[in-house]
Amino acid sequence: MTASSRHTILDRIRTATADDSNRYEDLPRSYIREGALQSQARLQLMTERLHEYGAEVMECTPADLATAIAHQLDLSGRHQFVVPERLPEEWLAKGFTWLVDQSLSNDQIEQCGGVMTAASAGVAESGTIVLHHGPTEGRRVISLLPDFHLCIIRASQIVETLPEYFARTPNPPRLATFISGPSATADIEMTRIKGVHGPRFLSAIIVRDDA
Amino acid sequence: MRASLFITCYNDTLFPQTGRAVVRLLERLGVEVDFAPAQTCCGQMHANTGFRGEAYSQAKRFVQLYRDTECVVIPSSSCVAMIRDQYPALFEELGNDDLRRQFVALLPRVFELSEFLTDKLKVEDVGAYFPHRVAYHASCHGLRGLHIGERPFRLLEKVRGLDLVPVANVDRCCGFGGTFSVKNADVSTAMLDAKLTDLLATNAEYCTALDNSCLMHLGGALHRRNLRLKPIHIAEILASTEASTT
Amino acid sequence: MSGPIMDPRLAPPFPEAALPILQNTQLRNNVAHATDVIQAKRNRLVAEKKDWHELRTSASAIRAHVLANLAKYLEEFEANCTAAGGVVHWAKDASEARQIIIDILHEENATEVIKIKTMTSAEIQLNLALQATGITPIETDLAELILQLGEDEPSHIVVPALHVNRQQVREIFARQMDLPQLPDDPEALTAAARTYLRQKFLSVPTAISGANFLIAETGAVAIVESEGNGRMCLTLPRTLITLAGIEKVLPRFDDLEVMLQVLARSATGERLNPYNSLWSGVVPGDGPQRFHVVLLDNGRSEILGRKVERQTLQCIRCAACLNTCPVYRQTGGHAYGSPYAGPIGAILTPQLEHMRHAQSLPYASSLCGACYEVCPVKINIPEVLIDLRAKVVDQERLESKRLTDPMYLGMKAANFAFASASRFRMAQWFGKLGLRFFSDKDGWIRKLPSIGSRWTLSRDLPAMPDQTFRRWWAEREPERTREAKPEREARSKTEAR
Repeated sequence: MTASSRHTILDRIRTATADDSNRYEDLPRSYIREGALQSQARLQLMTERLHEYGAEVMECTPADLATAIAHQLDLSGRHQFVVPERLPEEWLAKGFTWLVDQSLSNDQIEQCGGVMTAASAGVAESGTIVLHHGPTEGRRVISLLPDFHLCIIRASQIVETLPEYFARTPNPPRLATFISGPSATADIEMTRIKGVHGPRFLSAIIVRDDA
Repeated sequence: MRASLFITCYNDTLFPQTGRAVVRLLERLGVEVDFAPAQTCCGQMHANTGFRGEAYSQAKRFVQLYRDTECVVIPSSSCVAMIRDQYPALFEELGNDDLRRQFVALLPRVFELSEFLTDKLKVEDVGAYFPHRVAYHASCHGLRGLHIGERPFRLLEKVRGLDLVPVANVDRCCGFGGTFSVKNADVSTAMLDAKLTDLLATNAEYCTALDNSCLMHLGGALHRRNLRLKPIHIAEILASTEASTT
Repeated sequence: MSGPIMDPRLAPPFPEAALPILQNTQLRNNVAHATDVIQAKRNRLVAEKKDWHELRTSASAIRAHVLANLAKYLEEFEANCTAAGGVVHWAKDASEARQIIIDILHEENATEVIKIKTMTSAEIQLNLALQATGITPIETDLAELILQLGEDEPSHIVVPALHVNRQQVREIFARQMDLPQLPDDPEALTAAARTYLRQKFLSVPTAISGANFLIAETGAVAIVESEGNGRMCLTLPRTLITLAGIEKVLPRFDDLEVMLQVLARSATGERLNPYNSLWSGVVPGDGPQRFHVVLLDNGRSEILGRKVERQTLQCIRCAACLNTCPVYRQTGGHAYGSPYAGPIGAILTPQLEHMRHAQSLPYASSLCGACYEVCPVKINIPEVLIDLRAKVVDQERLESKRLTDPMYLGMKAANFAFASASRFRMAQWFGKLGLRFFSDKDGWIRKLPSIGSRWTLSRDLPAMPDQTFRRWWAEREPERTREAKPEREARSKTEAR
């Protein structure tokens, strides 16, 4: 039991900070909280950043989403996909094998060439996709093990700056993964190599629900 | 305008020509120059090496000496940085109210040479003539401590005949660092090598700076290797005229 | 092959440790190249960020605020993490931290453990302790893997294997992974690591991580990474142990909006690193079902109590200071004899050792200030270095060996000389006389004894001029030269009034 260590450490800390008074609310925050871009420019920025990462990006109207999905899946060259429990039925395009994640084993997930999920948010400035791993995004493992990840994100979910994401997320998620490009390493002679662990291929469909 | 020259301990001893140049330059600009012979050292060497109490006794002497001076001019950015950056804490910790007041009153009257020219005398063309190719080395204390910025460049650009050449990695430390140059002589030399590579690539005849400390370090290696590039303090360039060139 | 010594209690002093490295041209080239690349990326992205100064101000303020209220935030973190299903442990020192972790692993009957890179585990020398108790730690960061398989030590906080080139990596992997035909291009090497590690990720049930941030408000842990090995270790195992220094906590989830922006740009020159993972406690059905956090003091609470030194704890381990340091550029990390190298290492390491070891590190700096300029949380590293030097000297004052230390005696003599103009003039006179002995015919000095020899190692010294400035002035202005001492001057002024 570390109860006595806990006591000792907190005691030491309190002694060391005895004279300090410093309010959280008074902390300076003059950094940019809100983006300046209009929606078209914002989406363009998001697309640009995703392209910089080597991701495929496609836009579509809500009506054309199913077609867009089928197209991206075709392009991926893969046939078996794992999906979270509550993806809309119409997203599961015909001609592909779909494994719905109801406590799939890692082996089963490994059989799949790709994964398709929705998203919780996008941050255009850094080309980031944010997953909160709810029922349309799935357990963390399913967007980690497969080599290809198709992410469906709505235009209305995309903000320009990181502070805007936080402003829109008043209840901190229990789980969150911020994806800003495929995994990469520069550990060998500073040469950037894409894709060490985690999906090496990322595709995003931006659904224009902002029309 | 009257100015009291704080020559600095090492300039006084090893680079008196810099002091003479400062006097020549300032008098040419109509400044009445004063020199308080009681001066010795600002305390930087001791402060930076960890001898705080000793540094304080020197700081106290400095402040008391210049209590009634109109302004103090110092041809060494590291000494001015010492006074601005470290004196406050020394006086806070080791001084008394009286001394702290004296120090606070003196502080705005202390100038590094190039600051004195551009900010106090408001002059950039000091009437100098120095027909040579010159590379400027940005001493760290001037660069980051005093935020000296463009001042030395503006002064050098107005010197007749002077060809000022840009230096790669101009803001990288030359490796002097006071006692560092001796306590970590090998690393200091490696940093020196890197800096010389950048300086020599300019094919300049002279390398100038606000501090003779850096120049002594660079110059020492240039001399050892028998290289053409010569170190010269900025005061000596600015003091040069057609009549009296260095 | 025995690697460099990274234990501050055993490592040689910095000047000694640096010497062999200075002679290793390849390593120095690698370090220069790597730091140039990251610096260029960092500078470009900082220039692009219009509110960089404001972000830095906020980041610094948030970190200072946390430290000033550390007990409150740690308790808040503990309560929320526990409520979310985590178990929080408190370790006073390295030894206790190791024991807590080993006890957990023994309970799990673990024989292997996969690790995400964490400086803190190197600080407490965890791997050696695990091995001694029959548990094999497996590093999963590519760089840490290279170092582990190559029996080497990290030389940089963010890019630990930057001193290793591709041929060396190829040799290590070929040997340790039994891949004799392995080519040496980075793609092939990375692919080999991917295959080798995947098998581990999917089979080893216990993992150890560090933490970039702990969130008090939610009891969450945040990990920032590029490769995906972090996500693997945080998601696949049954049991996860997170080791974190007590200073890692942030007040609220929202504070990440500042910290993530400054961390990524400073550490790797990216707007955000590829993967940032955040989790609170245990989530049924998703990820490790047993989660432990070990909060580590190990000297931090002591640093907290010192006015000038407290800012050391604001560090978010971005390594921007390493990348810009002209000293680090020449020596790389191994010369610092500690997991923490560069400017932050020079101030953190001796303090974690309660100033009993690594006393040469505060002097491993020319005080150029480049580190302070780039630090995203505005740690005034030069200020701390100077203060630590004062602490080292204060220790020296009590030791008898100071009486034979030329540096110490020289400083005392100089102080004596600076106390009055007449003493100073005397010292100048003696100095000139003494140096004459060492001057060559042309007046230059090429060789000096004792500490002086370290100067003349690579530099000449100009002979002392015949006339000091003050002599010149005195001769020029005999009537204006006042020989009075400062106190006498003051008195005469008072009388004149």
